[in-house]
Amino acid sequence: MTDALRDEVRAWLAAHWTGPAADEAAARAWLAKVVEARWAVPRWPVEWGGRALPDAEARIIEAEFAALGAPGTGQDRTNLYANTLLAFGTQALKERLLLRMLRGEVPMCLLYSEPNAGSDLAGLRCRAERRDGQWVVNGQKVWTSYAAVAEYGMLVARTDWDAPKHRGISFFFCPMRQPGVEVRPLRQITGESRFNEVFLTDALIPEENLLGQPGQGWAVLQTALAYERSVMGEAARGPRSGVAEGTGEPPLIALAREAGRLGDPVLRQDLARVLAYRALNALNTARAKADLAQGTSSPLMSLGKLAMSRILHEEARLRTAILGPESLFEGPEHPRAEDANFLTLNAYFTSIGGGTDQIQRNIIGERVLGLPREPEVDRDLPFRQVRSQ
Amino acid sequence: MAGIGREEALAFRDQLRRLLAARAGEAELRRVMETPAGYDPTLWRQLAELGLVGLVVEAAHGGTGAGPVALELAMEEVGAALLPGPLLGSGVLAAGLVAALGDEATAARLLPGIADGSRIAAAAITGPAGSWTEAGVAVEAVPDGGGWTLSGTASFVLHGQNADLLLVAARTAEGIAVFEADPRAAGLVVAALPCFDHSLRIAEIRFTGAPARRLGGRPGWAAVEAALDLAQVAMAGEQAGAGRRVLEMTVEYAKTRIQFGRPIGSFQAIKHMAADLLLEAESAISAARHAAEALEGRAVGAGAAVHLAGFACAEAFATIAATAIQMHGGIAFTWDHPAHLYLRRARADVQLLGAPAWHRERYLQALGA
Ligand SMILES: Cc1cc2nc3c(=O)[nH]c(=O)nc-3n(C[C@H](O)[C@H](O)[C@H](O)COP(=O)(O)OP(=O)(O)OC[C@H]3O[C@@H](n4cnc5c(N)ncnc54)[C@H](O)[C@@H]3O)c2cc1C
Repeated sequence: MTDALRDEVRAWLAAHWTGPAADEAAARAWLAKVVEARWAVPRWPVEWGGRALPDAEARIIEAEFAALGAPGTGQDRTNLYANTLLAFGTQALKERLLLRMLRGEVPMCLLYSEPNAGSDLAGLRCRAERRDGQWVVNGQKVWTSYAAVAEYGMLVARTDWDAPKHRGISFFFCPMRQPGVEVRPLRQITGESRFNEVFLTDALIPEENLLGQPGQGWAVLQTALAYERSVMGEAARGPRSGVAEGTGEPPLIALAREAGRLGDPVLRQDLARVLAYRALNALNTARAKADLAQGTSSPLMSLGKLAMSRILHEEARLRTAILGPESLFEGPEHPRAEDANFLTLNAYFTSIGGGTDQIQRNIIGERVLGLPREPEVDRDLPFRQVRSQ
Repeated sequence: MAGIGREEALAFRDQLRRLLAARAGEAELRRVMETPAGYDPTLWRQLAELGLVGLVVEAAHGGTGAGPVALELAMEEVGAALLPGPLLGSGVLAAGLVAALGDEATAARLLPGIADGSRIAAAAITGPAGSWTEAGVAVEAVPDGGGWTLSGTASFVLHGQNADLLLVAARTAEGIAVFEADPRAAGLVVAALPCFDHSLRIAEIRFTGAPARRLGGRPGWAAVEAALDLAQVAMAGEQAGAGRRVLEMTVEYAKTRIQFGRPIGSFQAIKHMAADLLLEAESAISAARHAAEALEGRAVGAGAAVHLAGFACAEAFATIAATAIQMHGGIAFTWDHPAHLYLRRARADVQLLGAPAWHRERYLQALGA
């Protein structure tokens, strides 16, 4: 069975894969082929473009794709939007969006954080009301990555103000390209503008875009967050210069060699220590996957994001240490400094975004180790009585 | 090395866990660690009957015929229980050294006694500098009639004081070779060294023309290194298992100890320490198991895996054991609390087969840097 599957994937890849896509259109065309051939989400039901395969067999497909560097499979683990929609969406919404999402045709964003609800996301105040068979939304979101290009935002909004904070929230697919949605880009510390402020003023959402039941959005959100965090624990953005990472010598060793520092015994100790962080996280991830394939849940799943945050901060620190005063500079004539400085700043994407390191430690302590919760004074109050700011 | 299947290894681990739970609790540990031998001979025989002592010895030579993967899993249990005794020194390092020589006659003569626990073998490899490199060997062998004589000093010899068989790495005109010596022979003195970890037994052996027999098979440092890799992986498993156990104990305590009207585990200062330690503990398990798999499969890059485990597991266990005391507060500063037993073992293990800095350097070299 597994051999036949491996042969089938190999043969298909041999017939279709012609190397990395040259542009966005080619990348989409490739994804469309992967979806059509049912490789995109092998664990999913047949009805939604999958093959209903067990995890171990899906891994075979992923391994064959990875061996060639071909993207597109494994979206049943990594595509947080599509997985959330599959698990909680209405039939109509799934029919409209699922396959398009797998083909990379639906740019998405996450409308979670608000000015007064970050780590304490359940304290959100964005309001959604049902009116004439649709939902009307008013409020403000912030730090919304990719909002400027998104077609839909996964939105959490309050629909019941008398319920306690976690129990009055609903989860929507909010259409972004409408008059009631105003997106204002924010400039990030990296100088880029990926995240935005989003102002929702009588924004309209069709009834069928509600995921789960009204008031049960927190549970939907937990599923979406779990996908997001597991993706953030496995990989992160590399240097902006786009220098290929992965194959061959670890980039930190190459950099130290190039900078003539590889003989420095103090640096070598630091280098080994930092390289080990990434190696150990990869081993933890592999073990988590093996646990999962055997049907046992693994504490390791929750550790990846925290580990990745340390990896990124430490690698950036070491890059800077290797370069020394060269890291003072920026601009196209100083690409190594550009990389070190960009990576130093962008490491916070992983240590703040998707739940800060401190929140991750709370989660590991409480949900994995079973330590008692922090007392939360507003947990059981009707939300109307909850204090904010 | 061949290895038994995963199911079998897990079943063996569970049997071992039951035996250790019944026979190797903390009270037992405290009792035997203050005896001269440092282990319980009755339990040692039971462990041998179970197959633990001869785990990595081929079945043809009286062992279990399991490989590094099963060994590592078993050592996680051994570590969790802080089981004292000559397992690492005799059953792993010495047995591994004989096997690594690859000489059938020697293996057939020496391994069955080691595997069934009736003989305690000790490998005398490094000198007082404790460097675990070829340069660290501080015993010299010279031909003497039909045999050889040994002079010099070997130290850090695990259970050397309990051994009835010594395997000595010594310099000859053609490089390093391995010799068999009788610890009761004239011309050598075995001195027990006082250890900070009371459950550990280490000896220094001074050779002054002691008679010895040169063992055949693979010559040179390579055999010694293969045995050290195996011992390193076993110790990594011990560290990973011990680290996980101290963390479990500490988390349990944090759930039940009440201060300021709430369990101390609800304070983030404690909770966040626990979360960070979980990452260390799980990473150590991953590193130890990966190294075992690499050795078992003789994978390319096994060297990197072994040295990664060498420092990652040692430092994880040491960090967990040290932090556990802080998280417990005053109770863990008492002799009667088990926390210091783990810290003592952790501190010993950090040094025993090469310090973390040395493993880090070797790791980088193995990565090609
Ligand atoms: C690059 C980037 C991209 C992002 N993209 C998105 C996006 O696309 N969509 C979206 O919705 N959001 C996004 N975010 C927002 C992100 O999820 C929040 O910034 C994050 O959850 C923290 O919230 P906050 O910024 O309000 O900080 P706060 O919650 O105010 O936290 C401030 C500090 O207090 C600490 N803290 C807070 N509560 C606790 C507690 N209970 N215990 C211990 N420490 C605590 C935090 O760890 C932090 O150090 C993004 C953030 C970044 C940096």
